Amino acid sequence: MKTRNVLSVFVLLSLSFSAMAETAPVPEDKVATLRLAPIDIEPTPPAMQKVINSDVKQVRNYPMQPPIIPHRIDGYQIDLKVNKCMQCHARNSTGHSQAPMVSVTHYMDRENNFLASLSPRRYYCTQCHVSQLDAKLLVENDFVDVKELMKNPAKTEH
Amino acid sequence: MIAKILENLKLIWKVIRRPSVHYSLGFLTLGGFVAGIIFWGGFNTALELASTEEFCTSCHEMESNVYQELQSTIHFTNRSGVRATCSDCHVPHNWTDKIARKMQASKEIWGKVFGTINTREKFEGKRRELAEHEWARLKANDSLECRNCHNFDYMDFTRQSKRASAMHSTSLASGEKTCIDCHKGIAHQLPDMAGVEGF
Amino acid sequence: MSMNRREFMKANAAIAAAGVAGMALPASASNLITSSEQTKLEWNKAPCRFCGTGCSVIVATRDGKVVATHGDAKSEVNKGLNCVKGYFLSKIMYGRDRLQTPMLRMTDGKYDKNGEFTPVSWDTAFDTMAEKWKKTIKAKGPTAVGMFGSGQWTVWEGYAAVKLMKAGFGSNNIDPNARHCMASAVGGFMRTFGIDEPMGCYDDMEAADAFVLWGSNMAEMHPILWTRVTDRRLSAPHVKVAVLSTFQHRSFDLADLPIVFTPQTDLAMLNFIANYIIQNDKVDKDFISKHVNFRKGETDIGYGLRASHPLQKKAKNVSTAGDSTPIDFEEFKKFVADYDVESVSKLSGVPEHKLIELAELYADPKKKVTSFWTMGFNQHTRGVWCNNLIYNIHLLVGKISTPGNSPFSLTGQPSACGTAREVGTFSHRLPADMEVNNPKHRKIAEDIWNIPEGIIPPKPGYHAVEQNRRLKDGDLNCYWVQVNNNMQAAANMNEEGLPGYRNPDNFIVVSDAYPTVTTQAGDLILPSAMWVEKEGAYGNAERRTQFWHQMVQAPGESMSDLWQLMEFSKRFTTDEVWSKEVLAANPEYKGKTLFEVLFQNGNVEKFPLSDADPKFMNNEAKHFGFYVQKGLFEEYAQFGRGHGHDLADFDRYHEEHGLRWPVVDGKETKWRYREGADPYVKAGKGFEFYGKPDGKAIIFALPYEPAPEVPDEEFDIWLSTGRVLEHWHSGSMTQRVPELYKAFPDAVCFMHPDDAKKRGLRRGDEVKVISRRGEIKTRVETRGRNKPPIGLVFVPWFDASQLINKVTLDATDPLSKQTDFKKCAVKIVKA
Repeated sequence: MKTRNVLSVFVLLSLSFSAMAETAPVPEDKVATLRLAPIDIEPTPPAMQKVINSDVKQVRNYPMQPPIIPHRIDGYQIDLKVNKCMQCHARNSTGHSQAPMVSVTHYMDRENNFLASLSPRRYYCTQCHVSQLDAKLLVENDFVDVKELMKNPAKTEH
Repeated sequence: MIAKILENLKLIWKVIRRPSVHYSLGFLTLGGFVAGIIFWGGFNTALELASTEEFCTSCHEMESNVYQELQSTIHFTNRSGVRATCSDCHVPHNWTDKIARKMQASKEIWGKVFGTINTREKFEGKRRELAEHEWARLKANDSLECRNCHNFDYMDFTRQSKRASAMHSTSLASGEKTCIDCHKGIAHQLPDMAGVEGF
Repeated sequence: MSMNRREFMKANAAIAAAGVAGMALPASASNLITSSEQTKLEWNKAPCRFCGTGCSVIVATRDGKVVATHGDAKSEVNKGLNCVKGYFLSKIMYGRDRLQTPMLRMTDGKYDKNGEFTPVSWDTAFDTMAEKWKKTIKAKGPTAVGMFGSGQWTVWEGYAAVKLMKAGFGSNNIDPNARHCMASAVGGFMRTFGIDEPMGCYDDMEAADAFVLWGSNMAEMHPILWTRVTDRRLSAPHVKVAVLSTFQHRSFDLADLPIVFTPQTDLAMLNFIANYIIQNDKVDKDFISKHVNFRKGETDIGYGLRASHPLQKKAKNVSTAGDSTPIDFEEFKKFVADYDVESVSKLSGVPEHKLIELAELYADPKKKVTSFWTMGFNQHTRGVWCNNLIYNIHLLVGKISTPGNSPFSLTGQPSACGTAREVGTFSHRLPADMEVNNPKHRKIAEDIWNIPEGIIPPKPGYHAVEQNRRLKDGDLNCYWVQVNNNMQAAANMNEEGLPGYRNPDNFIVVSDAYPTVTTQAGDLILPSAMWVEKEGAYGNAERRTQFWHQMVQAPGESMSDLWQLMEFSKRFTTDEVWSKEVLAANPEYKGKTLFEVLFQNGNVEKFPLSDADPKFMNNEAKHFGFYVQKGLFEEYAQFGRGHGHDLADFDRYHEEHGLRWPVVDGKETKWRYREGADPYVKAGKGFEFYGKPDGKAIIFALPYEPAPEVPDEEFDIWLSTGRVLEHWHSGSMTQRVPELYKAFPDAVCFMHPDDAKKRGLRRGDEVKVISRRGEIKTRVETRGRNKPPIGLVFVPWFDASQLINKVTLDATDPLSKQTDFKKCAVKIVKA
């Protein structure tokens, strides 16, 4: 049987257990990275976190990512009667609110025609935009921003 | 019929204007004073009672609609436990305004009796109208009931979020806007907001 | 490579300073990069990795990494949109704790059930596995080995798994976690129409005048379909939306008719609507006379619990649960007449006027109605009944198979339809809706697979819930779990799942991309490639099959599930696993490996490596030396072509943004069973439900029956479990994306403020949710997106640190064997 045995340096560095000798056992917490406890023990749930309300924009991972909401949205009503978000983020409201206008794509219908106001298909803001709690990450993410890759000369993979 | 009422009134008047035979002037004055206090106090106590949350929510119209909605808002539970009851926002503190508001409230009794909002659907049908009354009142009195607790002079902008301080230090400070202009729906669900300025 | 400086820099003062010609200039030297070479990204299509909606996304890669994703503007499904999970697909493969090497529980260099996980080579992993499998098959026969997969397998992975189990090991003990998700829908389709999957398609949403959600929170679970419903509702003001659930959730924000009902009473409401339609003379008599038969189903059928359970003993008709007898319209009319508005209102807690308004949506001949349902119906001890009853309504008024008139079962997994159902990875099924207990079906499969007669066992294997029970009882000893996290997902973990996995007699293998609760409970962990780390195909809820290419390499020694299945098959010969009688009758199969029999059978290896698009990676094709995926797909497609399940040619799917089967003469089918729209309906028929021999669908008389466990004095409140928008299923991918994790990091117990107050609780309090089977610790949430009525709590199940399935009851629908995760009785006490 042939196995592909390509461990990149990056992977070796980021993963402590794969860098170990093949026979060294893996500590229990490495196989319970989200649970952080044996299955038969009931861990104490962390205290409820607060919503980050800093109003500081977070850099997007890539241009098409919907921006994170940098403020509380508790009790914001988005229903048949009203869309609370648009009180500040609608085109006409941004003058007094100084909030970012919803992107131009939000004025387009399914067939990419521009409408006079927010497209109904984009009505429920929270389907794409979420606020953030000040929770501590359980697992880091090693997604690489394309900007980092651009620092190196482009190479084709094929 | 009218003649009979007039006749009775005349009779009462006669009794009142006739000097007392059995009681001293002092007694009558003091007695009248005490009675006045009791009557006045009773009136105001009644007013107070009619302004408690228990009274308001004793009607299911209030209990199952606006009171339910209030419970998940910051005016019901919050970090410091200071909470607003119905009357804090909906009954003016100033006596004359309070009486005026209470007179209006008699219409709500009418509504209760005739069941104009006795189902969720009927309530929803009236929601815009009811909300508009409150917006108009708060707009006219420069959000007085908000300001009874949220005094502009004592707002520390540095303790507010960036957005809040930006708004409060400009539009609110200049008097260009009043609380209700931006904070509609802060304690209850909004009605259909089509055509409402700012929405 | 070298780079032209002028190309790279433009209008930048740094030009002079920027070093030697030919050197790659750091991008940070300029914030205006105009070189197309430098900014170029490689874009390719793929379906989303998450739910059954089947959105198409465009994936950008560069230097072997996925760097961006966005909604596919050319896809009919999502037209450029994604939900928040879809927009963050780029990050799901890059959690730092990706599994990278096989790991076996060992002590002193030897396998030990109670040892510590130790990295081993693939050879050691497969050697250990094969030894266990062979020993078990020899001692106890093929029913002692089993496999559990999911609708997250690609089409060919699920297909290879079915072949390995049913045609290789001769065991029907393979089931997908679609059993927890879609089995009742399948049961409903098969029982009413005789053929699986919706007759309509997503285009129904732009045509409907009314939508009814029966136990489906589309706003969170099918967000992109919800954008289409929202679009329709807000663009056409006459459109009405009714939302039914046992608690208020985000979908209620669009509801014209919001209905919160007492759990289990949906059965009665469905029968009331049928009764209302009949009483008000709104039956489409022409339609039912031509296209419908009536039958009365068996009742008092138990709750799919262990046979020793008192409720199971009490039920009269457990063994005949699926039976039914023919009746006529008059008898049906009489049957539903009991479900009048007064009594149903009383039972369900729904005001009479709302019930009538709901019934009127269906009854009004001028309204085109689309009904949606997911887990509220399917995860139900009478789930198949619920499905049958909703079809009753649509059939009575003839609102079916025409644009906008659509009883539409939505799916939870990306390929619940494409793989689990169509490929037939269930313990009782074979590809294209065929079943193992039908000798004709077995014969067809054995012929296509080119294996001797008698290999596929006629008896259905253990279904998902039964597998956990049999593991615990020691009847199932070698168990391989792929593409899902069933320790977290299956109900009653304390009494069944965990003791089953940890039973010293059992050897549990878990393939996954990340450590999960299931890997934690296993004995051998195999690191898996995921999503665009392999070539794949998924089928969504509207019968749309979608392909994608491999775009990047998986980290470390991770291998695709397909590679794992095929490599493992090399370790067995027919002599080790097939019966002597079969081999004696078919000596040409003697001494062959299962790999040769299953994957070098003249079909699978038919397409050479050179057929694969050289522009893309394909680890499996390269490794095995032929275009594996195409070979498997084309063999599989033989099952359905000409039988109502026609798939297009393999290559075409790589070009298209998905096609809805049956694809006949190159054309996809949007609405089945209607003349003109479905090529299988004969001319002059109008409608034809050709899954049934006489072309007629069935309306079933089925009653309301109570739930197995209802709140009492001690366990005084209903528990419903489910998902949240930001996390998909058990959170094994989404909890590793920081933005999604931080949007909803921990599970909470949503409850009514009055219920909290009554128990002396407030928001944020640590509480125990306790049932007769187990308990978890969580925190009280009295605000937020879900608003349960008094008497019910909702706890999502995505959180590995709060395993709510320790609490749930493993009662199932006796027909579909699907667990009811929505109803059991618990108490809430301060921790």
